Amino acid sequence: MKSILLSTVFLLTACYLFAVIPPAKKDKQKKSTVTLKFNNVFGNENFEFKKEYTTAFGEKLTFITLNYFISNIKFTKKDGSEYIVPQDSSYFLVKHPDSLSNIIHLENIPEGKYTAVTFTIGVDSVRNTLPIAQRSGALDVGAAARGMYWVWNSGYIFFKLEGKTVNEIDSLQKRFQYHIGGYGGYDSKTINNIKVKTLDLKELTVSNKKQPVINVQVNIAKFFDNTTPIKVAEHRSVMWGDLSVKIADNYFSIFNLGDVTYQ
Amino acid sequence: MLPINKKIFFVKSKLIKMMAAMVFVVIISSFSVKHFSAEPMQINIPSNFPSPVYDFKNNPLTKEGFELGRKLFYDGILSRTGNISCGSCHQQASAFIQADHDLSHGVDDQLGRRNSLPVFNALFKKSFFWDGGVPLLELVPANPLENPLEMDEKLDNVIKKLNASATYRTQFKNAFGVDTVSAKEFFYAFAQFMGAMISANSRYDKYVRHEGVQLTPDELEGMNVFKQKCSSCHTTDLFTDGSYRNNGITNDFSNDKGREEVTLDPADRGKFKVPSLRNVEYTAPYMHDGSFETLEQVLEHYNSGVKESATLDNLVKQNNGKTGIPLTKTEQQQIILFLKTLTDKEFLIDKRFSEL
Repeated sequence: MKSILLSTVFLLTACYLFAVIPPAKKDKQKKSTVTLKFNNVFGNENFEFKKEYTTAFGEKLTFITLNYFISNIKFTKKDGSEYIVPQDSSYFLVKHPDSLSNIIHLENIPEGKYTAVTFTIGVDSVRNTLPIAQRSGALDVGAAARGMYWVWNSGYIFFKLEGKTVNEIDSLQKRFQYHIGGYGGYDSKTINNIKVKTLDLKELTVSNKKQPVINVQVNIAKFFDNTTPIKVAEHRSVMWGDLSVKIADNYFSIFNLGDVTYQ
Repeated sequence: MLPINKKIFFVKSKLIKMMAAMVFVVIISSFSVKHFSAEPMQINIPSNFPSPVYDFKNNPLTKEGFELGRKLFYDGILSRTGNISCGSCHQQASAFIQADHDLSHGVDDQLGRRNSLPVFNALFKKSFFWDGGVPLLELVPANPLENPLEMDEKLDNVIKKLNASATYRTQFKNAFGVDTVSAKEFFYAFAQFMGAMISANSRYDKYVRHEGVQLTPDELEGMNVFKQKCSSCHTTDLFTDGSYRNNGITNDFSNDKGREEVTLDPADRGKFKVPSLRNVEYTAPYMHDGSFETLEQVLEHYNSGVKESATLDNLVKQNNGKTGIPLTKTEQQQIILFLKTLTDKEFLIDKRFSEL
C-alpha cells in the first residue's frame, strides 16, 4: 500500500509539472507514413490461387501457398544517413491472399527525401536465436508464424511456395513445395539464406502532404525461370538442403520496384 | 469573463479532477499488476554440476508454472489424436525414456526414427535432441508436438485447444497472469517443469559430494577404468561433453544422417549427441537407434563392434589402425558396476515429477 501511495504522489507531481510547464519543443522533426505494398504477380498476370499458370518450361501449375517474411526495413537519404524502423516493430509476414498482410504501413518516418529502401527477405540470424519472449507478432510460432518455422531444426522459414502440377495421372505426385530458410546456424556454421534487398527509389518525398506507397512487384514466374532454372518435375520438394541456396538466389531477384504513388 | 480568482479556482478544480483520475488509474493499475501472485519456487543447483545454461531470467520459476508444465507434460491434448502425451514416451520409472521400445511410438502407433532421450537435467544442456537441432530449452516441446511420427499436431492448434479449456485458462492466468494463452506461456510452463527436473542424487553424487556414501572397490575400479577409457566424451558430472560423434554403430547412414541433417556438412554424417550416462541403468535400449538392449552389449560394442566409416570418431580408433576401445570382460563388468552408481532412485520415484 505504501508503494502505491508513493507512486501516486510521484505521478501526481509529474502530472502537475506537465500541466504547468509548456511542453518543450523536443521533437522538431515532422513525421509521416510510408507504405510498402507487396504485389505478387506471375509474369504479366495477377497472382491468384487456383488459377493455372504455365512456367517458361511449359509446366502447368496452380498455387496453394505463398508466404514470405519481410523484416528490418530502413530508408536511406542521399547523404547516406539512414532511418531504421525500430527493430521490434520491423517483422512482417506476407501471406497470400491475405490482403492486409501485403500492405505494410510504416509510421513515424521522418519527413524528407529518400533514395533507397532496404529490407530483409526472411528473418535475421539474431532473431532466429532469441528466447521466446522476443518472438511475438509475425514471429509468434504458436499463431501468426504457423507453418513458417522448423521445429526440428529451430529457425524460421523465410519463403514458402507450394502448389500442384496440372494434368498428371498420379495424384500423389502432384504436390510441389519449396520451404526456404536457414540463418547460418546456432553453434555450427551452415547455410545462410538471409537476403537483404535494396530498392533504388531515385527520390522519394516523405511529408504529411505526400505519403508515399512503394509498390514492390514479386514476380513468381521468375522464381522458376531464373539463374537456376527450377523445373517442378525435377525438384518437387526443396526444403533444408543445398539447393535451397540457389532457390533463395532466384527469389532474391524477383522482388523489384514497381511504381511509387502518393496518398 | 470570469474574475481572476474564479479563473484560478477553475484551473485548480480541473487539476484536482485530473489528480483524482490519476489516483484512480494508479490504484486500478496496481490491482491489475497484482491480480496474479504465483509462488516463487527454488531449485538447488548440485554443487558437482556445471553452471545451468537456462537461467529463468525471463521466466521466473513458480509453483504454479511448474505444476502447469507438469500437467501439460502428461496431457494427450498436445497430440492430434488426444492420446499421446510427452509422458507416453518419457516415462519416469524408466528415467523419462520409453521402456521396451527401440524407437518411440507416436500417434496411430507409428514408429519414430530415433530412440527417445531422457528429459532430466535439461537446464544444463546447450542443445537438444540427438542431432542438436534445437538450441533453446524453451523451444523443445514444439519438436515432438509437430513431428508427424510423434504427436502430429500443430502448435497453434494446441494453443487454441488450451484457450478453449476453462481449467487451463485459469491455470495459465494463475501462473503467468494472462487472460489468453499464447505460445510464450506454453513454452514457459514446459521450461519450468523440465528445468526443475534435476537428477543429482545418485550414490555417485553422494560419494563425490562427501555425503556419507562410499563406493565398493569394484565400483571404484570401474570408475578408474571409466575415467581412462570413456571420460573423454562423457565428461563432467553430467557425463557428456554435449558434442556430436560417430561411435561406429553403423556405416550405413542412408536412413539417418544424424547431425549432418542439421548442419548439412558431410563431415557430420552419422554423428549423434553424446548422451549423459545418468540413470543409464534404466534407459535401455541404448544408442540413437535403440540397437542395444543391455549395457553389456554397449560395452562389447566399444570393445569389438565399432564399424569403420569416413566420419568415425578418433576416440574409438586405436593406434594400430583397429577400431574400438579395448576392454577386458572384467573391465566391462567394472564399468557397468560404476555406471549403476549413477542411478538416482530418489528421482525415479520423486512424486513432484509424476503423473497426477
